[in-house]
Amino acid sequence: MFKKFTLILVLSVLLISLVSVFGFAEKLTLIGPWAGAEQAGFMPVLEAFTEKTGIDVEYKVYRFEDLVTMLPAQFAAKKTPGDVIFMSGTEWMVKNAKHLADLSDVINEGDFVPGTLVSKVDGKLLAGTFTGKIKPGFWYSKSFFSKNGLTVPQTWDELVTLLQKIKMIPGIEAPIASGDGTGWPLSDVTEHFLVSFGGPDLQKDLIAGNIKWESNIVKGVFEKLVFLLKSGYFSEPAEWTTILKQWEKGEYALYFMGSWITGMVGNPDDLGVFSLPGCEGMVFGPDYFNVPIYSKNIEDTKKLAAFLSGKEGQTVSASLGGHIATNLGVPVEVYPTVDRGVAELLKGVQSLPDLDDTVGGEFQPAFWDQLKLLWVKPNRLDDVLKVLDEKMP
Amino acid sequence: MHRKATFTHLAIFILPALLLICVFVFYPCLRTISLSFFSEGKFSLHNYYEVLKSRDTINLEGFSKGFPLGTLLHNLLWITIHLPLTIFLGLFLAVYLKNVKGGSIIKSIIFLGMVMPMITGGVLIRFIFDKNIGIVNEFLKLFGFIPKTWTAYPETALFSLIFGSVWLWAGFSMILYSAGLETIPKDLYEAAQIDGASSMKMFFKITIPLLKPITIVVVTMTLLWELKIFDIVYVATMGGPGSASNVLALQMYTYAFKALNFGKSSVVAVFLAVIALAVSIPMARSAGERR
Repeated sequence: MFKKFTLILVLSVLLISLVSVFGFAEKLTLIGPWAGAEQAGFMPVLEAFTEKTGIDVEYKVYRFEDLVTMLPAQFAAKKTPGDVIFMSGTEWMVKNAKHLADLSDVINEGDFVPGTLVSKVDGKLLAGTFTGKIKPGFWYSKSFFSKNGLTVPQTWDELVTLLQKIKMIPGIEAPIASGDGTGWPLSDVTEHFLVSFGGPDLQKDLIAGNIKWESNIVKGVFEKLVFLLKSGYFSEPAEWTTILKQWEKGEYALYFMGSWITGMVGNPDDLGVFSLPGCEGMVFGPDYFNVPIYSKNIEDTKKLAAFLSGKEGQTVSASLGGHIATNLGVPVEVYPTVDRGVAELLKGVQSLPDLDDTVGGEFQPAFWDQLKLLWVKPNRLDDVLKVLDEKMP
Repeated sequence: MHRKATFTHLAIFILPALLLICVFVFYPCLRTISLSFFSEGKFSLHNYYEVLKSRDTINLEGFSKGFPLGTLLHNLLWITIHLPLTIFLGLFLAVYLKNVKGGSIIKSIIFLGMVMPMITGGVLIRFIFDKNIGIVNEFLKLFGFIPKTWTAYPETALFSLIFGSVWLWAGFSMILYSAGLETIPKDLYEAAQIDGASSMKMFFKITIPLLKPITIVVVTMTLLWELKIFDIVYVATMGGPGSASNVLALQMYTYAFKALNFGKSSVVAVFLAVIALAVSIPMARSAGERR
């Protein structure tokens, strides 16, 4: 009896080992942040890759917050939970550079929208870019504007007048809805102020650490924001999807949000958007992915990386809606109508990296958190800027 | 022969557990301590200096400007407010519900707060204090208060979390005190009644002293929970706004997984471990006395 049991046990172990070594060797694992409807929108890209190459890809959902806790231990053990991993943050990438494969042999820098491929460390391209999202400005309901005789502002004074008018409309909680969550909606609107009133170079200089948050130019921009906050034009921060619904109901007139909003509202055709007057740059947040060197099948993985950042993969994604291609080869005609309008917004303005995503590290949560403080205590601007300087890498 | 067999048996039973404790407890502890002393590959107290001088840990400016006061002081505030509230509430509920019909059902309902994952508790706290859908604002509106999201303001964020989490933990002290009350002999109360003692006198002279071992356990466990509080803060406020509700455990997490500075993170872990050890000593001593 004991011998039989031992024999079955040994055979089972052997079988499992053989299956795991040979049975699943060709399957790649891709880790991304999208679940639910967003995942459903991404899966056709992987299916197209499998159809083209015959390589199967398993998709796993891990949020950025989960990966930052999981990857250090995995990398220390020279292992990786996925062959391709969607991550963001330059600081994270720099600190993990020795664990990431160089993709410069499969990704050509010239193929991308300028400013979207910012992943070089010591001459190595450590991340590829998939599609991305634009953060163009303040979204509004065209019918709401028309009903209340409102027009899109062309100057700062017109913007202030518009906000005054909106505030007087009965039923309005506040002219601008302030989305919260972890804090990124507030950082998006702040970056828009920095780019609009400080110029695109200010955003780049802040990312590079060439300019202090407490400098006069940055403080000057923030003072415009503080003026609007003190005047009560921004609402109290509230969970961003909850306040989105309230904005749709007409409790707020304007909402600063990324281009993904087109897929989240009941009537996207009623959406209008305007940037702050004088804005010459626009944050274009691409989805970055890395290939850890511990991938068991690095050649196939690089094929997947090339597909995701290439014209073919991005065309599939862009045609499904909600995503803007970073690869210049993707024709505008493939976009659904709403997204085509969004993609057009990028024309004539500089495409800029997302500030907090690019700096990453300890700065990112501190930036979000300090802005939450500024929103409710605008008179503490000096404290906020001081902390931001302290938290820069 | 018999002694040898006993020793072998002991070894067989102890070794696996000992091995696991060494791998999963002793080694990580020693490694954490060693990491805390290394900065840029050199042995030094630099990490300790950095963490202690950081305004993240102690922010004396907060006393004049308002929150944040620093994670260490925030944890102290948790202990100062949350500990007595949960203990007295638990004791009150245990005594009050002891002789109430259906008391055990009410106790079970109150204990649900303990059974619930603290992450869920954190989400609930966030909603409870929300401007639009929070029950607190609905209640305060009856008295003419203007609704606001209490967790969004630096002066109220930490207090919202502390007061909001009392119901989550009160079930723990209530259940332990309830069990403790059952162990007090009834004849003590009968004798006191014959001697003419009032209910209050019996409570303070019999109930409270005989519940001392339970109180030590409740205080210790509650203190440890307050020291390592993380999940509620993480989901409800993420330590904000402006670090106004940040706590040591979240600071440790941020250093490790946002700043990728495991040295500074280990320093906070060592602080927490030392405080936790100091807190646990009375309980260990009390257990020894009972033996």
